[in-house]
Amino acid sequence: MIAATDLKKYFGAVAAVDGVTFTAGDGQVTGLLGPNGAGKTTTLRMLYGVMRPDSGTIEVDHIDATKHPRDAQARLGVLPDLAGLYPRLTAREQVRYYGELHGLESGLLEERTTELLRTLDLMHLADRRSAGYSHGERTKVAIARALVHEPQNVLLDEPTNGLDVMSTRAVRAIIRRLKAEGRCVLFSSHVMQEVSALCDSIVVIAGGRVVAHGTPDELRAKAGYDSLEDAFVALAGSGEPR
Amino acid sequence: MKRPGPVPRWARQVRVVLVKELVDSFRDKRALVSILLSILVGPLITGFMMNRIADRQKDADDVRIPIVGARNAPALVQWLSQQSGVSVAIGPGDPEQAVRDQTEYVVLVVPPDYAADFRSSRPASIKVVADGARADTQGQVQRVQRLLAQYSAEIGALRLIGRGVSPAAATPLKVEEVEVSTTQQRAAKLLSVIPLMVLLAAFTGAMQLATDATAGERERGSLEALLVNPVPRGALALGKVMASALAGMLAVMVTAGLCTALLRFIPLQELGMRFRFGTPHMVGLMAAALPVCLLTASVQSCVATLAKSFKEAQTYMGILILAPMIIGVMGTLYPIDNQPWMYGVPLLGQYVLLTSVLGGYAPGPLAFLVAAVVCVLTAGLLLRATVALLNNERIVFGR
Repeated sequence: MIAATDLKKYFGAVAAVDGVTFTAGDGQVTGLLGPNGAGKTTTLRMLYGVMRPDSGTIEVDHIDATKHPRDAQARLGVLPDLAGLYPRLTAREQVRYYGELHGLESGLLEERTTELLRTLDLMHLADRRSAGYSHGERTKVAIARALVHEPQNVLLDEPTNGLDVMSTRAVRAIIRRLKAEGRCVLFSSHVMQEVSALCDSIVVIAGGRVVAHGTPDELRAKAGYDSLEDAFVALAGSGEPR
Repeated sequence: MKRPGPVPRWARQVRVVLVKELVDSFRDKRALVSILLSILVGPLITGFMMNRIADRQKDADDVRIPIVGARNAPALVQWLSQQSGVSVAIGPGDPEQAVRDQTEYVVLVVPPDYAADFRSSRPASIKVVADGARADTQGQVQRVQRLLAQYSAEIGALRLIGRGVSPAAATPLKVEEVEVSTTQQRAAKLLSVIPLMVLLAAFTGAMQLATDATAGERERGSLEALLVNPVPRGALALGKVMASALAGMLAVMVTAGLCTALLRFIPLQELGMRFRFGTPHMVGLMAAALPVCLLTASVQSCVATLAKSFKEAQTYMGILILAPMIIGVMGTLYPIDNQPWMYGVPLLGQYVLLTSVLGGYAPGPLAFLVAAVVCVLTAGLLLRATVALLNNERIVFGR
């Protein structure tokens, strides 16, 4: 479970995130929806501990993440905005590196690495260096290394951005699986169909603020539109809660 | 019974980072080639320089003296040809042109009135034609001049005895040169290129890994993902610095090993040195040079973390490497007399220690300890600075 309360982050005089509050529950997929530059990535970066909020609190499974960032991070699996791989390491080695940093014991680590690579259909790349991977393959390896320690909470920053249909489906399948396992999944997107197809709960962000929060149906009702896309444009476009 | 406590989590993470960086960089062919080249350049330059110096010295011992007008001074010519290592030849038609063309390095010209002057005990003139601008033949020219002075003194002494005067009366001064430097110290002056090469290896060996693990990590976009792991920034920085320090140490050991191995093949005896390089010298070199790798790795990591791109980091590396070069050049131009404070200055201390070890008059263990501790402390400060940079969002996200 992840709870953000009144998060604020300024870059100079610009408020990138200006009072974001929401909760993402276990066994649920929460979507962070917003146009480019709305503050999605900055919000996520504060949640996964690579940026400090100027004010506000973050709780990860009831751990105060601003006071105990490493303890909180141990409970997070993250596909960050910048998820570069090491070109000279194989897929297996990338996943193993993160598992070792999490302190996994080697027998268990090998088992999980193989299992993850199999689930994500990456076995053919397991022992090949990542220099020549496609974008989709790189994203899947980055997801695999984020999940190696079986985190209770999974944060994905635009996971399907730039992926082809097959890879997009694979990523969606992972998200559904994580939900079925009772994990808390939070992902950001600016793609409407994706959010409506996957999410139990949607947080619409615009101009660094939460402009709406609810189930897809609730959002449609709130905006007074049948299509979620119209609802989104109406909600996000105003930049102010209605 | 006290049992050792378990290895702390951060220490295991340091090891994980260290191993990963080493594996990663040893697969980097470009990096390996550049490290290999930088390791080989030192010994090659050393071997080349030593060989040339030895050759030149050998040339000075064996001199060939072309003489124009040898007929005018048969006694002198005979005396010269009796000296060891000297051979006499017939001089060229135009001595000055021959020396200018560098076909001869020196020519003796005996004028026709030599014999008459000599017989009547007037100073008989003799010309030594040489090119003072040529550094490579100076030794030989000096040898010729010394031989002539010696001949002159011998004849002078004989003439005095012939007139019933003791030659001692004509020698008011007896100049004795007391050489205080040991032969090994003189050798060290010639060997001063080795400390420079060893210090350079500490920079070049660590450089590629230090840049790749910091500026490279960010440029590849893998830094943000790495920072999401529950690892203290200090452990990340320490792992990376240790990995590049190990690479630097490897370069230092290979460079020192090859340079000193070369000494066996170089005719050092012909330089008038009895230089014996043994295990204690090698231990001394390592004790002086290995701690400096921690310093080079941490300063390079810190600077490369600060750089906005991999390219920019490489530019900074080029500037950093000037530090040992300046010390090396200064050390060659102005012979460094060891002052105790020098051990407390990173790099300079190591340079002085290395030179001393090669000179065979290594200072006590305290000097090594002081120099090493200063290195480790400076490295620690730089590590803290790197951690501060990794905690800076502007640096991590390049704003």
